[in-house]
Amino acid sequence: MYSLLKPCKTTAAIEAIPRERLALNLDLCEEILKKNCTIVANAGVMLIVNDRCEVSIHRDGRLILKTDAAGLAEEQASRIAGWLAGSAAVRKQTGSGNAGQHCRK
Amino acid sequence: MSKLVCLVSGGIDSPVAAYMMIRRGVEIVAVHMDNRPFTDDKNLDKALLLVRHLQEVTNSPIKTYVVPHGPNHVTFARNCNRHLHCLFCRRMMFRVAERIAEREGAVGILTGESMGQVASQTVQNLTVVTQVTKLPLIRPLIGMDKQEIIEIARKIGTYEISILPGLCCTIVPKQPSTAAKLADVIGEEEKVDIDALVEKSLEGMYVLAPETL
Repeated sequence: MYSLLKPCKTTAAIEAIPRERLALNLDLCEEILKKNCTIVANAGVMLIVNDRCEVSIHRDGRLILKTDAAGLAEEQASRIAGWLAGSAAVRKQTGSGNAGQHCRK
Repeated sequence: MSKLVCLVSGGIDSPVAAYMMIRRGVEIVAVHMDNRPFTDDKNLDKALLLVRHLQEVTNSPIKTYVVPHGPNHVTFARNCNRHLHCLFCRRMMFRVAERIAEREGAVGILTGESMGQVASQTVQNLTVVTQVTKLPLIRPLIGMDKQEIIEIARKIGTYEISILPGLCCTIVPKQPSTAAKLADVIGEEEKVDIDALVEKSLEGMYVLAPETL
């Protein structure tokens, strides 16, 4: 689900970009993820969960992983992708991916 | 000695504003609005490091309040116009700062705002934000450009702390309003219980004595 991990411009976090354009239903995501993660906040526009590290999940599927450890970020992104894969919470949209929306390349 | 409540973030500007006013003989009470979980722990750490550094370079004790602001962001994001989010955020900061000022006997609110630097700091938006408090807002950096502010920050040693890694606020909307109208902002704020949010923020805050920083 995620193809790219790159440091945020602040270098305090790592961003994971979905390979495809996605639309996430964050309320459904919360229902799914609460079985495996601590739900920190659901602001409607963003769901924040805590598992191996704290993660902000955006409606377009981008993840902001609050760690500067690339390995941990990659593992955490894979875990979230695995839990959400194939669920009704994730809808694929036509068009290209989301790369470059938040952070510098 | 006059006392001001100073909103201190982990950024470059607010420590410079605080320094300038301390140098003019003003006593400062620092207030850090804690944006977690929309920022990270590093931002709080930076804010406290900056206050500690200011204490050292000015030889002035600074009492510091840390106020939870994340729940306010959730409420505004879920209920109000997204484009105006930064205005709601700033106005909440001033409401809380005003209450702390009452408690501390401070006569005004000091900020590091500088004209045009970010979406919330246009003339129109500064006007909308200003309306929320009866206290005077002291903005010593208002007409300075970023480079001038950075030069002072370097000189007083806060710049290197301010640029340490820290996650910027992630709940900032993609298209923040740069020319908000007061009536629109007030109309949106009526969708939530502002007084309850202020009280909750004050209930959750904690105070750090100068010697504990």
